[in-house]
This record gives sequence, C-alpha cells and structure tokens, in this order.
Amino acid sequence: MKDIMRIKCLLSADVEVLLNQQIKKEAHSSSLYLAMASWCNRNGFDYSADYFFKQAEEERLHQLKFYKYVLDMGGVAISPEITNIKNDFNSFREVFEEALEQEVNITQSIKNIAARCYKESDFVTLEFLNWFFKEQREEEYKARRALELFEVIGEEGTGRWEIDKHVGKIEYTSEAE
Amino acid sequence: MKPNTYVPSLNWNKVYGNHAGTIYQSDEEKCWFIDFAGKIARFDYRNILKLKKAVYNIDIEALLLSNDKSGDLEIIFICACDHCYVLSLLEIIAIKDLLQGTFVMLELNHIIQDRLHRVIA
Repeated sequence: MKDIMRIKCLLSADVEVLLNQQIKKEAHSSSLYLAMASWCNRNGFDYSADYFFKQAEEERLHQLKFYKYVLDMGGVAISPEITNIKNDFNSFREVFEEALEQEVNITQSIKNIAARCYKESDFVTLEFLNWFFKEQREEEYKARRALELFEVIGEEGTGRWEIDKHVGKIEYTSEAE
Repeated sequence: MKPNTYVPSLNWNKVYGNHAGTIYQSDEEKCWFIDFAGKIARFDYRNILKLKKAVYNIDIEALLLSNDKSGDLEIIFICACDHCYVLSLLEIIAIKDLLQGTFVMLELNHIIQDRLHRVIA
C-alpha cells in the first residue's frame, strides 16, 4: 500500500499543528509590538516607538517564514485569528519587561517544536528552525539590553528621555555570531 | 446532480474497519473510499484530513451530557467536498473510531515503508 500521506506532505500531523501554533504566536507578537509602538508614540517616546515598529515588522516576517515553510512542505498553513492584544501599559519600563517576556516565550516555543522534531527525527524542520534560534539570540539580547538601560541610566530626572534615545542604538554585534 | 456511487474494487486496500464501516485506500487514484452510513464516498488527501478535523472537533461528551430536547444529530459538511454526513451520536462515535484506526494504520504503513524500502540499513 502506498504511503500517500508522506508523499503529499513532509510534515507529521503533530509538527504541522505546532508550526501553525507558532504562526499564531508570531502574529500575536507582531500585534503586541504594534500596540507597544502606539503606547510609546502616545507618551512621547519616539525612538522606542520606532524600535517597536521595526520589531513588529520583523515578527511579521517570521510569521510569513513559518507560513511559507508549512506550505512548501505540503502542509496546510492557517491564517491565525489574533485577539486579546494588550494596548495599555502602566509604565515605560513595563513595556520593555513585556517585550522581553514575549521574546522568551517565543524562544521556548521554538525549542518545544525542535524537541518534537528530534523525537520524530524530522531533521528537515530542525534545520529550518536553526535560523530562528540564531534570530532569537539577537531578539532576546536586544530586549534584555533595553531593559538594562533602566538600571544603568535610571528613570529619575531626564532618565526616561535618555533611555528612549539609547533604545534605538541597541545592536547585536557580538563575536559569538 | 446525482452524486457518484462507487462499488468496492479489488484494487482497493482495506485500511481499517469496524462494526459500522470500512475505509479503503486506492493507490491508483491516490485517495480513500469510506464505506459508512450506507454509502461509499471518495475522499482525497485534503478532504480526508478535513473530515478527520471535523469529526475530532465534535465534543462527544458534551453531546452525551446535553439535556436538549433536540435530536443528537450532527451535520458534517466539508468545504469543497461532494459528501456530507448527518450522523447520530452512535454513528459519530463509530466514525471517530474508524478514522482513528485508519490514521494509526496509515502511520504504521509509513513506518513499514520507511524501514523496508526507504532506509537501507
């Protein structure tokens, strides 16, 4: 009997479900960054707003990368429904705390997909995920650095203005690259 | 339009069967034939996955515990597919078992194909 399922699609049903969940998470992430950009803009933090607009764009590209991978492998990519986006934040610092938390969630979630791929010996998807692991190193680094500015500069006086100015300058140029 | 009617062919492979029905695979047509609820229906790769999703999404426990006076019927309609099922609770349980068994057998077939033909030790 022919193995029609495998001929039609490289992905197992479980990995396909996980990848579709990841598509949703990336889309959620993108929307959340957009909400953060809006909050920063409303409160006069122009550089941070630009930073989050860029992040929103990046997350959208990640979403599309997953989306196209699922389709390329013969799977069904599902356009996600995004709800419950937090649009208000209590403080400038809280925005960055949430941003870091979001990146940690994304990293953990991709690790979870990789664990499943190991279990199934799906080395094709694992190789695809490697790009994201490298990307997450940068994303987490940037989010952590931004939050550290609050400790280094302090929020007193013109502190928040100074932090905002520095957020746009954060770059990942580590030798570990 | 009169829906296509099928008769079991010798070229079909039986994938799985239970008291209520049987699922066959046709290698030539790369599709499955589901003999259930008094008819044989043809499902291609996309449609059988949609059927699986539709059936798995039915909350059987909720239907069992429901006090509604309405009949315990579920309509399974699949987009871009010629067939639709109107099933009672017992039939839903039976088709779910049928699909679960089928997908286990297809997975087993995949493992066997891998071990015997694709991976040369």
